[in-house]
Amino acid sequence: MTVAIIDYGSGNLHSAAKAFERAARGADDPERIVVTRDPDFVYRADRIVLPGVGAFADCRRGLDAVNGMADALTEAVRNKARPFFGICVGMQLMASRGKEHVITEGLNWIEGDVEKIAPRDESLKIPHMGWNTLDLAREHPVLERLPLGPKGRHAYFVHSYHLNARNEGDVLARADYGGPVTAIVAKDTAIGTQFHPEKSQRFGLALISNFLKWKP
Amino acid sequence: MILFPAIDLKNGQCVRLEQGDMARATVFNLDPAAQARSFVAQGFEYLHVVDLDGAFAGKPMNAQAVEAMLKAITIPLQLGGGIRDLGTVEAWLAKGVARVIIGTAAVRDPGLVKSAAKKYPGRVAVGLDARDGKVAVEGWAETSQVTALEIAQRFEDAGVAAIIFTDISRDGLLKGLNLEATIALADRISIPVIASGGLASIEDVKAMLRPLAKKLAGAIAGRALYDGRLDPAAALALIRTARNAAA
Repeated sequence: MTVAIIDYGSGNLHSAAKAFERAARGADDPERIVVTRDPDFVYRADRIVLPGVGAFADCRRGLDAVNGMADALTEAVRNKARPFFGICVGMQLMASRGKEHVITEGLNWIEGDVEKIAPRDESLKIPHMGWNTLDLAREHPVLERLPLGPKGRHAYFVHSYHLNARNEGDVLARADYGGPVTAIVAKDTAIGTQFHPEKSQRFGLALISNFLKWKP
Repeated sequence: MILFPAIDLKNGQCVRLEQGDMARATVFNLDPAAQARSFVAQGFEYLHVVDLDGAFAGKPMNAQAVEAMLKAITIPLQLGGGIRDLGTVEAWLAKGVARVIIGTAAVRDPGLVKSAAKKYPGRVAVGLDARDGKVAVEGWAETSQVTALEIAQRFEDAGVAAIIFTDISRDGLLKGLNLEATIALADRISIPVIASGGLASIEDVKAMLRPLAKKLAGAIAGRALYDGRLDPAAALALIRTARNAAA
């Protein structure tokens, strides 16, 4: 089994790959983690990870700059039903549109826009950087046995924008940062986290490990 | 085999499309319940209903018409179009739909088919609509790169009642069923396969009854029934004779 981590020039590849390798080591059927720029490899992979750091428009441009990658990704996830994990801007790209500085088309797997977060408390800084607990909105196999809620474990966030999903059912969990912030989305065989599981220690590894076991 | 008469719903009316093109719709009956009753009177034993608007919208759009049909008839009815979550599956089954048909969601969310079929064995069918062998989704507006066989194989041993295989390039054009491709699919999976798209005349019914096609569970008849090319009495008589000979 292979897990393709898409390399499209958008940061955090190394830490993402390390975290997936670590989580895979404990599995009964260890998966091969491959960082790749090859759309054909992505198309044939058993699972796909799309990391992402920076601005929405830059990431979209980066993805489009790899010839055939966006098509291979959509085909593999939407039609071949391969499990997909989007991280941070990789998760935001699942949305219809990004509204960071300019309006940019997303992959449109999850209806909604990526919008600036607006904490009610003005003392809360943007970007939102730090550790937050998560509140469950909907049960999902990748969240099985994860300690969520105010007494649960913390996930690490660095972002100024979040995915405002049109359909309530597409949101699995939220964080509170002067108001609700979309933390995990899921639709069909795809999930995405606004926070960085690769920097979220045991919680992040447990989440990745659930993802690697998930058979949608 | 079972011959399923098809009722396709658009804006509450019975229509037939050509190759799935919503712009090429012919209205055949303004009253779906009356159409359903008429098929029952002709001797059909199972209705095939598609909510076309629902297939595009991703949620039921002709619920009133379907409910009117369910009230009008006592034979079983299978329904597809816009069924993409467990809640919709359950709502239709509770309202008396004998079997739901999952299409787009079978491609994008195989887990839905598996969990629905596990919970409601025998009451979940998968609709695979292919254009040149590749599966089309979203009311046939999008074509994927995956083959019908690849998708059908996902559901082996999942308790799926049937695969309804439609050749889009033939649908509504009365060119005859694509039996070759349908039999090739049926040969490679254990789920019963129903042929659809292009059934034109009694010749298609005869072809379905040949030993070569015995793996097929049935066929869907659309336009040919509405424009009189297929005489339902003759078709059903042939099927009955074949059944009696087999018994």
